[in-house]
Amino acid sequence: MEIQWPLILFTFFNCLAGGIFLVQGILTLAGKGKQMQLASCVSAIVALAVGGLAVFFHLQHPLRMLNGFGHLSSGITIELIFVIVFAIAVVLYFLMMRRSEEGVAPKWCAVVAIVVSLVLPFVTGESYLMAAIPVWNTMLLPIYYVVATFMLGGFAAMIIAAVTKCEDAVKLASTVAFIGTVVTAIVTIVYAVAISGMGSEYTEMEYYFDPTLPDVAMRQAEAVTAAIMTGEHAMAFWLGAVVIGCAVPAVLSGLVMVGKISADKALVVAIVAIVCAIIGTIVWRVLLYEVAVNALIQFQWAME
Amino acid sequence: MSNLAIITDLNRCTGCLACTVACKAINGVDVGNFWIKTLRVGPHPTEGGSGTFPDVEMYFLPVQCQHCENPECVKVCPTEASHVAEDGTIQIDKDKCIGCQFCALACPYGVRYLNQTERVVEKCTLCEQRTVQGELPQCVAQCGARARFFGDLDNGVENFEAPAHPDSPGCGYDEMTQTRVKLKDYVEAFTENDIHHLTNKGNNPKLMYLLREGRKWRE
Repeated sequence: MEIQWPLILFTFFNCLAGGIFLVQGILTLAGKGKQMQLASCVSAIVALAVGGLAVFFHLQHPLRMLNGFGHLSSGITIELIFVIVFAIAVVLYFLMMRRSEEGVAPKWCAVVAIVVSLVLPFVTGESYLMAAIPVWNTMLLPIYYVVATFMLGGFAAMIIAAVTKCEDAVKLASTVAFIGTVVTAIVTIVYAVAISGMGSEYTEMEYYFDPTLPDVAMRQAEAVTAAIMTGEHAMAFWLGAVVIGCAVPAVLSGLVMVGKISADKALVVAIVAIVCAIIGTIVWRVLLYEVAVNALIQFQWAME
Repeated sequence: MSNLAIITDLNRCTGCLACTVACKAINGVDVGNFWIKTLRVGPHPTEGGSGTFPDVEMYFLPVQCQHCENPECVKVCPTEASHVAEDGTIQIDKDKCIGCQFCALACPYGVRYLNQTERVVEKCTLCEQRTVQGELPQCVAQCGARARFFGDLDNGVENFEAPAHPDSPGCGYDEMTQTRVKLKDYVEAFTENDIHHLTNKGNNPKLMYLLREGRKWRE
């Protein structure tokens, strides 16, 4: 199986949608971000919808879901349930905000927003845990999705705050972005180190030949698991996922957080930072696919 | 409820690829897809040997859906398109398959393929269309080395069947296709320790491989 771009985009947009709503929940709980509530709700729903649209390009017969969707042992079913719960929570937040005399959603709505925004990326990652794919079969995968949600949400909230002129939200949003990015960097590197030690999880056949793939070289598990940190993907990992994806956004958000960059320049800085963060998170997701689909648990042949 | 499976005697398998080809022909498997593929494992130096020819060993390994007892593909399927059938085999209801391909990812053996024409996932059905009318799966019927035997695990693997040697039946179609030999009567003696399975990640693969002492099972 080749890299599934629709699924990479789906997981990315789930994290983005969750992040936007998460930071709005945090801001509301802190008594900030009043002017940006509507923009946050709309942005979160749009991101969720774009992710949903992406997944339709992966499914070959999406309408056949009507023939029996709902097998609860399936991660995809759980994922869909929480996508719906998330959408309902956003709508609920919006309605409660409109009903409120102060024009701010109540605190319990903010708590609901935070909870659903953390559960969504977690169950998205959890659906990929499979014994057949050791490099995915670790809690580091859903944890990565959750911390990336903080990172993406922080930068998206900085942009929304700047656009809606919601100045009281910039500092808190940049703080979430900074902490989220630093933790994302840590989790990414820990995950990469963990993958490099997963060679023993594969069954080594040593010498074998697959006559249906005569021109594909025999692979040893170590060559696949070492590819990220020191092998063929090292450049993409260190430059793309770590330096561009985490270090640059962390520095930029840190400067805004401590006030070295003024709030009026926060928009440009946040846009640059989120572009870098998106590059980093997409590179990392592609690498996770690369190392997963290039090795089966028993036969380390490259799958087509 | 039965418990259908196949055992392959790897000491007999010559790697002729007849199973691979027969399966593609009878099931109309797409170009590039294989419901069963025959790998060559080795040659490896024999233990205690000189390290070079002739002290080497190898075997061929036909890999297909292992019709697991606790199948990962069934667990991850959101629509129950992949399911455990009454006869204990794993089958795909194509009308329910949404083509998410998570089953193909979750399968430890890489034996599931997306049919590009029908846009559903397919794999070995253990020739359900043949076995329901008392025939053998095509890969068993066409095995060039009479290395593959099919049967119900509930009746014991020693009673698994393959087509009879061509000397015994007559040339009539029914007689040719319905005269069988049993594993216990046909192959060299073996013990429980000689029966192997592909790597088990809790999915409990049911298909079996017979590789007797003297040649090392690689896993």
